[in-house]
Amino acid sequence: MVICIAPVILFLVLVTLVPLVIALTDSLKNLSLTDILQNGEFIGLDNFRTALASGSGIYNSLWLTLVFVAVVVPVELVLGIAVAVFLNRQFRSRRFWITILLIPTMIAPVVVGMIWRFMLMPSFGVATSFFNSVGLFQSVPVLSDSTTALLALMIVDIWEWFPFMMLFALAGLFSMPQEPIEAAYIDGASRWQIFRHIELPLLRPMIILSVMFRAIDASKTFDIVHVLTGGGPGTSTELISVFAYRTSFVSWDLGIGAAICLIIAFVSLLIAALFYKIVSRETGASAR
Amino acid sequence: MNRRQSPLFWIVLVLIAIVALFPYAWIVQTSFKARTDILTSPPVWVFKPSWFNYTNMLFERGFETYLWNSIVIGLSSTLLALFVGTLAAYAFSRYRIPAGNHLFFYILATRLGPPVAYALPMYFLFSRLGLLQSHLGVIVAHTAFNLVLVVWMMKTFFDEIPSEVEEAARLDGCSEWLLFSKISLPLALPGLVTAAIFIFIFSWNELLFAMVLSAGTASTLPAMIPSLAMHTGTLWGEVAAAAVVQTVPVIVFTFIAQRHLISGLTFGAVKG
Repeated sequence: MVICIAPVILFLVLVTLVPLVIALTDSLKNLSLTDILQNGEFIGLDNFRTALASGSGIYNSLWLTLVFVAVVVPVELVLGIAVAVFLNRQFRSRRFWITILLIPTMIAPVVVGMIWRFMLMPSFGVATSFFNSVGLFQSVPVLSDSTTALLALMIVDIWEWFPFMMLFALAGLFSMPQEPIEAAYIDGASRWQIFRHIELPLLRPMIILSVMFRAIDASKTFDIVHVLTGGGPGTSTELISVFAYRTSFVSWDLGIGAAICLIIAFVSLLIAALFYKIVSRETGASAR
Repeated sequence: MNRRQSPLFWIVLVLIAIVALFPYAWIVQTSFKARTDILTSPPVWVFKPSWFNYTNMLFERGFETYLWNSIVIGLSSTLLALFVGTLAAYAFSRYRIPAGNHLFFYILATRLGPPVAYALPMYFLFSRLGLLQSHLGVIVAHTAFNLVLVVWMMKTFFDEIPSEVEEAARLDGCSEWLLFSKISLPLALPGLVTAAIFIFIFSWNELLFAMVLSAGTASTLPAMIPSLAMHTGTLWGEVAAAAVVQTVPVIVFTFIAQRHLISGLTFGAVKG
């Protein structure tokens, strides 16, 4: 049966291990755009020193990514659960409505980014005209100010992904045993008490899973930033993926870019191991 | 249970749907606007619809090349991932694999790292192999990253097939290959279709690899759409039309696969 698994392993080695080995060798060289195909000069760990130097953008990016994840994931979770609890009843064409609400999650993130960029355009953007009419952002366009640009990215991400959290919560609510809830109703519990003391505790495994998935995914956010702000103004929205992309494919500092790739891959491997532990402890859904 | 809900319920539901759908509806509406209507400030809500953006995009902007690239890359990587992944999923489900759990974790871990960490090394690798600017490079990248979904999802589906079915076939002298191709695979067909839909959507929507590895000539729609934002000003009408063409198949597929959205969105790690 090794024959069946070999192709999968081959593919994954080709796109993960081989690139990482290449990144490892390239990260020790002085590489720039002009000599991708030639071997650059061997410079030891200089690229790592540059990437991790105190003035490097990597710390700003890691911090921004952390803030981004810490804001969007809880908001998406709360919104998602709230909508799910609201939808957790019998009504006409329920599945249709749930699927409709999932459209922001399913369409391409790059399209999501373009849609919001269009709506936030100065003067003719529909969101801009709405904000201006209530007296907001009249002097500086939303995406041109470093604080509001980050806030806008967060709101776009929340819009895009709260349905994902809703879907998880709904799956948890639908599969919930109804007896304790009915018993609590008979005993005179309020809707809030039932949610707080019965539904929420029973949702725990689903919440943990969805937060894990979403947090990992949010930490990789690239498309919407690339399209909406490109990391700017300045580096104020340069999440870690965008930082790595800019270093490699905009500045073409390929040696430093390779070092950054390795650092990110290492950090995410640690997080992946942690994720695997928590998920296999909390649910039976993981591998065996 | 009572299926009739109060008017208040429907009002709130419609409000939530408006929040979720307004931005998309706005871009759909924009795709039918003439350029002067798009650039009006404040935005106009009533206008004379036209097909100009669609025809201009198709005939002036080389749109069909990108559409073709998207279809070729999407279908090829879907078929390849299904073929390779289903075999492995079957092996994981039926046989004891040495170090199987570690392999399984490794397969998952490839999906947890940020793609950008692999993009640059893959760019180096593919430039050495001469795969840049070709469909093949993007196909390989998309296949590899979608394998996780196939393996996880199909393993769950194979696990659910009662072992009696296969034992009965074995007793009748059925070979391993026949067992797989004539019994297990047809029984897991709904899973195969679902996995196919999700892989196709992921490949169809993917930006980073399509942008980095295709280097212009093999660009897919997601890589092409942002390029309509030019220094001379963004062609918003064309962007809107391209966005609609790109998203309509996704929405259709979402409705087809609506019962399996959770397992699809978690790469098969969660059933639902």
